Amino acid sequence: MAERRDALKIIGSISATCAFPFAADELYAQHEGTHTMPAGQAALPEPKYFTKEDFATVAMIAERIIPQTDTPGAGAAGVPAYIDFVVGRNPGQQKVMMAGLAWLKKETKGKPFVALTEKQQLAILEPLCALCDAGETKGVGERFFKAVKALTADGYWTSKAGMGETLGFKGNAILGEYPECLHEH
Amino acid sequence: MANVVYDVVVVGSGASGGTLAAHLARAGAHVAMVEGGPKINTRTDFPTHAMPWEFSNRQIPKMRPGKPGMESERARGLGGKTLTWNAVAWRYSQRDFKGKTFDGGGEDWPIEYAELAPYYEKIEREVGVCGNYDGLKDLPDGVFLPPAPYKCSDKLIDKGARKLGLKTIHVRKATLTQARFGRPGCHYCGNCMAGCDVVAKYNSYDVHLLPAMKTGKLELIPNAVVREVMMGADGRAKGVKFLHRETKAEGEVLGRSVVVSCACVQSVALMQMSAKDGLGNSSGQLGKHFIPHFTGGVEAFLEGLVGSKLKDDEGFLDHAYLPSFMHERKRDYVRSFGAQFGYQNRRGVGWAREMGGMGAKYKQTVKDHYPSFVVFSPYGEMVPNAKSYVDLDYAMLDQYGLPSARRQVTWMENDWKIFKDMQQWSKGILEAAGAKIQKVWEEPRTNHELGGARMGDDPRTSVVNKWCQSHDVKNLFVLDGSVFPSASEKNPTLTMMALAARTAEHIADRAKKGEL
Repeated sequence: MAERRDALKIIGSISATCAFPFAADELYAQHEGTHTMPAGQAALPEPKYFTKEDFATVAMIAERIIPQTDTPGAGAAGVPAYIDFVVGRNPGQQKVMMAGLAWLKKETKGKPFVALTEKQQLAILEPLCALCDAGETKGVGERFFKAVKALTADGYWTSKAGMGETLGFKGNAILGEYPECLHEH
Repeated sequence: MANVVYDVVVVGSGASGGTLAAHLARAGAHVAMVEGGPKINTRTDFPTHAMPWEFSNRQIPKMRPGKPGMESERARGLGGKTLTWNAVAWRYSQRDFKGKTFDGGGEDWPIEYAELAPYYEKIEREVGVCGNYDGLKDLPDGVFLPPAPYKCSDKLIDKGARKLGLKTIHVRKATLTQARFGRPGCHYCGNCMAGCDVVAKYNSYDVHLLPAMKTGKLELIPNAVVREVMMGADGRAKGVKFLHRETKAEGEVLGRSVVVSCACVQSVALMQMSAKDGLGNSSGQLGKHFIPHFTGGVEAFLEGLVGSKLKDDEGFLDHAYLPSFMHERKRDYVRSFGAQFGYQNRRGVGWAREMGGMGAKYKQTVKDHYPSFVVFSPYGEMVPNAKSYVDLDYAMLDQYGLPSARRQVTWMENDWKIFKDMQQWSKGILEAAGAKIQKVWEEPRTNHELGGARMGDDPRTSVVNKWCQSHDVKNLFVLDGSVFPSASEKNPTLTMMALAARTAEHIADRAKKGEL
């Protein structure tokens, strides 16, 4: 088990830090028989709201938005379960998700999103991200991406992995005295 | 309980009611403290040190599982909002009390700063307020414990302010920076507003009510949701009717005087519920002149801290303050604003969803910006207007069958001018401090509810007199933010507590002379 996890970790970090994305794609291809997801995605919990396939798709998008680097990505931080939890309680979000997932299926011509290569996935997601950043969120795809990104960000940055490890949260501690700012700013 | 007639029945146990009840009990009066919520133990009942990831929805709940209280506006708990306040404690200045005289608009208070000054000092000496002696005309100094030191972000903002000819000061809070009065000094965990678990921060239950129990003169009656101030045939208040918070059983508490102090809007609502046209409302002013503070907001990243090493400096939230400066400047409006900044701890990361990009680069961007995020929160003074008032909504009944208090707030031209100007200044200061602006609020938001039962000398234009005593019902007092005729731009709680100390003294004196 430990070996498998280590292997996944290595691959995960290569995919995120490698300067040549295709190299990572090749690596993935070599391992396609055993897994198709980057680290943190391997052990998805049972979804309570989404179907298994939709859940895997959303989880994969979340991981693409916040990937594993030297600290955990969205999957390992438990973001998919958080998204499942929130969307399951929010009819407004459900509409956006369902419309978006249907749209995505058309984009991938029916192929499961997780079965695409990283390059193919990013070719769909990155333009959506750029449109959202430019404030253009009229299309179904953009609205979907914006919603998944917001949920991913909320879930990740409030998680122990996100806030504790990645951001290095310090606080909530009992201090003898306040660490006054003595710098020249 | 049924046969007891207390000297004073106090409704509501927050900053005003809690202070008043303790002062009266110490003066020898027999006091009943009637509180809609349960007894809350600030050391054990709040999830003070919880982190968001402990909860599936990532929202830290108000109370620990199975611990009731604070669940609605009407039933809060012994200590009221002081359990979760941020403890900012300013004295108002002569200009705050006499705003109409100084620059027109609004209304003057019927009291001077000098009349309230001794009571401010009394409160500062008994609860402990930290701060610096700044010698400012419009923000009188008091009796202070040492201030909390500046944060890195405070230094940067102060530098920006200085470039524009302004100056920040240390915030003043009713939080101990050193052990005093059997309470420890603050340990700077950043959880003040989740409920301080060591009572370094003032709350009215631990600091005022509990010690006053030793007098044997104070009786706490929690879980009693007051629905009516009872009137006798002689035109005097004779007590209050309540419903038990859980069983909804009816009960009464009788007293020679009644003090309504259940947090501004709820006080107004209780008076409105107690008589057809509102109790003590011969002036027709009850519910009118509702003047909550309005706050703006500018969210920014201080460039000097982007990518810096994260410090454990959440502290007791905001450590510095920008006092009002517009009073002395040319402007096209009356009144002014001040600004708090950085009173959010680092567990709020909602801004991260607004950062552009995705992937490892996005992750790094958020990490880099995390130590530099700051919210600048200016507070403006609202001038009373006819379209801002409190009334009852009988279409919205709560679980006790009581109508909800409806707040109507319309901001007028003067308010909008202040709002726009304070947003502009906030942006300017942040930019001068070398900050990248992330978001500028476009709409004001209300905070610090004030007005609705204002005090004044003229019974035709005010609800209570300068002693917070009803013009109509001599043994009825209203004591909290509702009596403020004008709001100032400063956080109001210390002024409520000083008024409570003064009113307690007045009630005790009058009672001794048999005048109540």
